[in-house]
Amino acid sequence: MSLQRQDHVVGDLKVAGHRRRGPGQAVVCVHGAGVSSRELLPLVDVLGERYDAWAIDLPGFGASGKPDRPLVLPALADVVAAWAERTGLERPCLLGVSYGCQVVVDVAVRHPETAAALVLAGPTVDPRGRSPWRLAAQWLRNAPGESPRMMPLNVADYRDAGPRTVLAAFGESIRDRVEDKLPLVTVPALVIRGGKDRMVPQAWAEEVTRLLPYGRLEVMDGLPHMTVYRDPRRVAAAVAGFLSEVAV
Amino acid sequence: MKPGRVVASFDSATGMLRALSRFLHGRDVPLIGQGPPAAEAWAAALLGAANRLPRGVKERAYAASGWAEAVPLRRVGGIRSGELARWVTGHYPRRRSDVAFVGSANGAMMHLCAALGAPWLPQTLLIPVRRHGVHPDEPRADLLRTQEAGQALVSANPDLVLHQMHDANQDRLMIAGMSYFRVKWRRLPAAYREHLEQTLESGATLVVADCELRWPVTRVGPRHVFQHGAPGGATPDEYRHGGPRVAGYLRRYGSPHRRWDYPEADGESPEAEWGFEPELLADLRELAARNGWRLARMSFAEPERLSPVVADLYREWYRRRGLPADRLLAECFLLLEPWWTLRSGSVPYWMVFNSEPSRASLDAYLDAAGPFEEIRLLLFSHGVESVGLATIGQWRETLARATKLGVFTGVDTRAYPRDFAGLVRAHQELARIRATVPMPLPMRWETAEKFLTDRDELRWDIEEPTAADGSPGR
Repeated sequence: MSLQRQDHVVGDLKVAGHRRRGPGQAVVCVHGAGVSSRELLPLVDVLGERYDAWAIDLPGFGASGKPDRPLVLPALADVVAAWAERTGLERPCLLGVSYGCQVVVDVAVRHPETAAALVLAGPTVDPRGRSPWRLAAQWLRNAPGESPRMMPLNVADYRDAGPRTVLAAFGESIRDRVEDKLPLVTVPALVIRGGKDRMVPQAWAEEVTRLLPYGRLEVMDGLPHMTVYRDPRRVAAAVAGFLSEVAV
Repeated sequence: MKPGRVVASFDSATGMLRALSRFLHGRDVPLIGQGPPAAEAWAAALLGAANRLPRGVKERAYAASGWAEAVPLRRVGGIRSGELARWVTGHYPRRRSDVAFVGSANGAMMHLCAALGAPWLPQTLLIPVRRHGVHPDEPRADLLRTQEAGQALVSANPDLVLHQMHDANQDRLMIAGMSYFRVKWRRLPAAYREHLEQTLESGATLVVADCELRWPVTRVGPRHVFQHGAPGGATPDEYRHGGPRVAGYLRRYGSPHRRWDYPEADGESPEAEWGFEPELLADLRELAARNGWRLARMSFAEPERLSPVVADLYREWYRRRGLPADRLLAECFLLLEPWWTLRSGSVPYWMVFNSEPSRASLDAYLDAAGPFEEIRLLLFSHGVESVGLATIGQWRETLARATKLGVFTGVDTRAYPRDFAGLVRAHQELARIRATVPMPLPMRWETAEKFLTDRDELRWDIEEPTAADGSPGR
């Protein structure tokens, strides 16, 4: 079975979803700041071999509806929780990527009934790098390690979202204090870090795992920030290992 | 020659001496104590780039780095043991203490010393000696070439026993251009005596670290033995008779040999690197009696027997301080960080080398101690895919036993065991850890002694000072 487009209306906004329906539980992928589910489709494709895999576009990004003003992080988290309820998925595993990690952590903390487990791939933002300039510098240092094929996807994403929404998302990622919320996550969580990720330092990835009551860290040697795009099979294998272990 | 130039800097004893003495000065060990801390980032970048060089270039660079610090053959006879001893004691602060250690090198014991704030004076040092024209797989030729220099060394230094050592398995690159001269003190050098008398109070305890590990040797002359092979990945039997693993290894390295030709062993002796030479005991006994110290001989069968003991001692210590003690720092060979061990609230588990038996001992400790939330691994790279090397995949399996995070610290997994940046990155990455705890006050010796004397891994022989000797000898 191949990827299907399935949209839902949550509140009064369209939420675009891409699904590959495998036999197992639902795994819902949430993209990072300014981008969309485009970069996550290869992962959904692989995850869909075993799981009911989804990638959604947050409101304002990709093919989803555009709110009048960019949504703040808790509002995005509320949409994800409402979307999960709307689709009737039975306590999915939420897989966040980059800023998407901050969104799914907010979901897990403020809507504890929504997710059964979390996967945090490249969790941002390291509190010690919490400034626009540092973030920009980290982004630039990380860029050479990313797949060149991802660049046109990013450009299309930024065009879809528009500069105001993109900047608002980066601003939200910096304002959010994810480190205060991690200890309140009550479900098992897998943290994934690319060994060459310049946006998520090793010490921060360790600290994220340490703060999570049921955290586990997996470092993927040689991969950049976007582990999910660079090596979706390896990420999917780690997710499968994690989900079989926590048996949700 | 300056004593600091005579002794090998990339050796267990010197690495441990630097780590412990820096700790006693209140410092950590950037650049394995071999350079200014400010140069760490540059050195890490430079060696990181060197890790990407072709294998042949790296191997030659590694061998050259060893050769560069080795002593020319003709100068060996000019080495004086007294100067070496003074160089050792010069590392330590002059501070009153109720306990001091002397004897075998041991990574776990460095953590014991750090906990107690006690110095350790090594019995054994390594003097690397330059020599050419010997194939690494021909130990007999190595001995022939260097025998004379060895005899010059022992004649000039009657207080030393020379253990010449040749390990074509693990030291393959290093021994291409040098011989390993390990010297053990059989008489207590004056500098050690003075240091102990200046720092130990009457009634203090002098602990003799007695690693009982022995190895087959060939007697070359008085106070001069030759040891073929060393503990690590290959067994003594494999050094002696060869075997499929040895033949495969020699084939991989393009050697014309399929086993090693070495002078037939005619006895046994304390192992060159780790073993304790008991002849030293007479002087220690006399000194302890004269100064009213207790002399405590702490014997253990092999180096790693001390590792679980010290790890458990740290666990109990952390728990008494109300800390979780759920973080393990596995260290390897000379990669030691007593300061960061305590600041990160880590339980130290020291492994003698990066080989499969060491990994098995770590696994056995994890079996016995129960799960740790965090396991960090420092891995020494010796440049050789030697017999019995534990692979990155195997280390990964061990790290996966952590319940939360099991991570390599400062290891370039693609370059291992030719990861030369690891020497610098181990400290660099360890120092980035965010969860830190305050540095504790030193543990009292009575507390440690009570714990240590209860353990089956150690055998104790404690000589209390007699009333007649009770007055200080100064």
